[in-house]
Amino acid sequence: MSFDPILLRQQFSILSLNANGHDLVYLDNAATTQKPNCVLAAIMDYYQTSNANVHRGTHFLSDKATNCFEQARISLAHFIKAPTESHIIWSKGATEAINIVAYGIEGQLEAGDEILISSLEHHANLVPWQQLAKRTGAILRILPFDLCLGSSLNTASTLPLTSPLTNDDPWENSLKKEYSEYFTSKTKLFACTQVSNAIGTELPIQKLIQLAQSVGALTLIDGAQAVAHYLVNVSELDCDFYVFSGHKMYGPTGIGVLYGKTQALEQLTPYQTGGEMVQQVSYQETVFNQLPYRLEAGTPHIEGAIGLAAACDFLQSHDRQALLAWEKHLAKRVYQALSNREPKKEPNREPKKEPSRELNKELLKKNIQIYSPEDSTMVSFTVAGISPTDLNGFLDSKGIAVRSGQHCAHPLMTELGISGTIRASFACYNTEQEVDYFIKTLFEAIELLEEE
Amino acid sequence: MVVSSATIKEQLQACHSKEDTFRTLVALSKRLPRLSNEEKIEEHKVIGCESAVWLITEDGNGTKETRHFKADSDAKLMRGVLVAILSLVEGQSTQTIQKIDLADKLAELNLSRYLTSSRNNGINAIIGRIKAISN
Repeated sequence: MSFDPILLRQQFSILSLNANGHDLVYLDNAATTQKPNCVLAAIMDYYQTSNANVHRGTHFLSDKATNCFEQARISLAHFIKAPTESHIIWSKGATEAINIVAYGIEGQLEAGDEILISSLEHHANLVPWQQLAKRTGAILRILPFDLCLGSSLNTASTLPLTSPLTNDDPWENSLKKEYSEYFTSKTKLFACTQVSNAIGTELPIQKLIQLAQSVGALTLIDGAQAVAHYLVNVSELDCDFYVFSGHKMYGPTGIGVLYGKTQALEQLTPYQTGGEMVQQVSYQETVFNQLPYRLEAGTPHIEGAIGLAAACDFLQSHDRQALLAWEKHLAKRVYQALSNREPKKEPNREPKKEPSRELNKELLKKNIQIYSPEDSTMVSFTVAGISPTDLNGFLDSKGIAVRSGQHCAHPLMTELGISGTIRASFACYNTEQEVDYFIKTLFEAIELLEEE
Repeated sequence: MVVSSATIKEQLQACHSKEDTFRTLVALSKRLPRLSNEEKIEEHKVIGCESAVWLITEDGNGTKETRHFKADSDAKLMRGVLVAILSLVEGQSTQTIQKIDLADKLAELNLSRYLTSSRNNGINAIIGRIKAISN
């Protein structure tokens, strides 16, 4: 590994906290990551040296603040490989970014038009489209669950979606045809997550974007779960919109990005109006400002943008492939510890030896169902007969932070037929020691909570 | 589930860590008889809890004057909390149940270590339901 997680951890003061009498083990990174001290310092520095309102007033501090703020926009454009900074619209986060589009394209939709989403969406990339459909009479269509899972990129070893096309390419062989049925001349917008927040599944977005383009639909990719882990290149993806939140990629809360192609952004009706986004105002009429300001009403979240740019710098100062490899290594360590890798035994066959502790562990594993792929940065699972909130409660009492519940994906949980999962999600600062403590504590919890 | 509220209070007050409280509640949960699937219907469900909770009241000792409670949850911890809550109202008269400050009584049980804000909302929902169905 070209980086040292122990050294890297030292940049995160919060990770040395004590939680309920134990060292804090933070494994809830898919909900929000912790922030490195350089991000906190950038925010502090902004207030100590540059605070003023941006884009107005001509004085020393206002110039300084505007420069920092616009420099942050340039950093974000570089971070996701957008052609220029005018493609970067600041938002509160991925949710607001999606809403800016959902309200912005309302005038372009007619009754009977179709909006297509996957069945792995977070509510943030579902409810805005459902409500848009209700307002316009458009139809919300869902790519079926089995199809979404069947094309998962995490199973790339068996499904070589990214390899050169061969006769064995499942995309060309069957998936393309199955997916194509959902992209019709009525499809006006295709919105899809890059990585499922609840179960870590990666969708073949590049291929899906091409299908959407072939029917002339606009495309929006929810990158909230991807940006902290993957190199994102929006120019290569060629999507119309790409959205993400800063707080899931080591940046502050309350700031996120709506990336859009110029034409796609220009067609959006501003969903908020007011100051900053105007050129000329009379009591009768308003001339809106040019992009990106046209879609950014009011004083922006200046220190948020600056903090997010610092988070980009933090990520880019490391070998990102090495960070991703480390996160996947940790997730795989948990995956393998929880999955029953023993050769399948005859059902109901009693173990012959005395049940040692190790064997007991194997028995405990039998009740564990993992929903996330082995090749992922998270592990999402259930334990039969034990409520996820109970497991969560015990882990918490031991200083371990994970997430239990439906992960803002009720329809997905319904599809899986479960009331929720436990999700341990990893960041570059997590260690093998933390992972091993988590595994050990989880088995302790299962033993305690098992029904007699 | 005949555990007196005094005993529960004693057990919970002796807990010195979140883990202790957790283990005590899990032990208490075993004192709560489970409801049948027929009893776990939407009508008996308490809205606003993190985990599913069902609560039923019946006439105690064949008279409407005193109340008998039955409850269940998917989560063991919540079943432990239910044992604690119900120990305060089980077999009591409707007048007593209406008068009793359940939130106050629960605060005395040293549960705050276990109760996160979202769980507290659930407890409040359960208290509300107890009062509502004990009329």
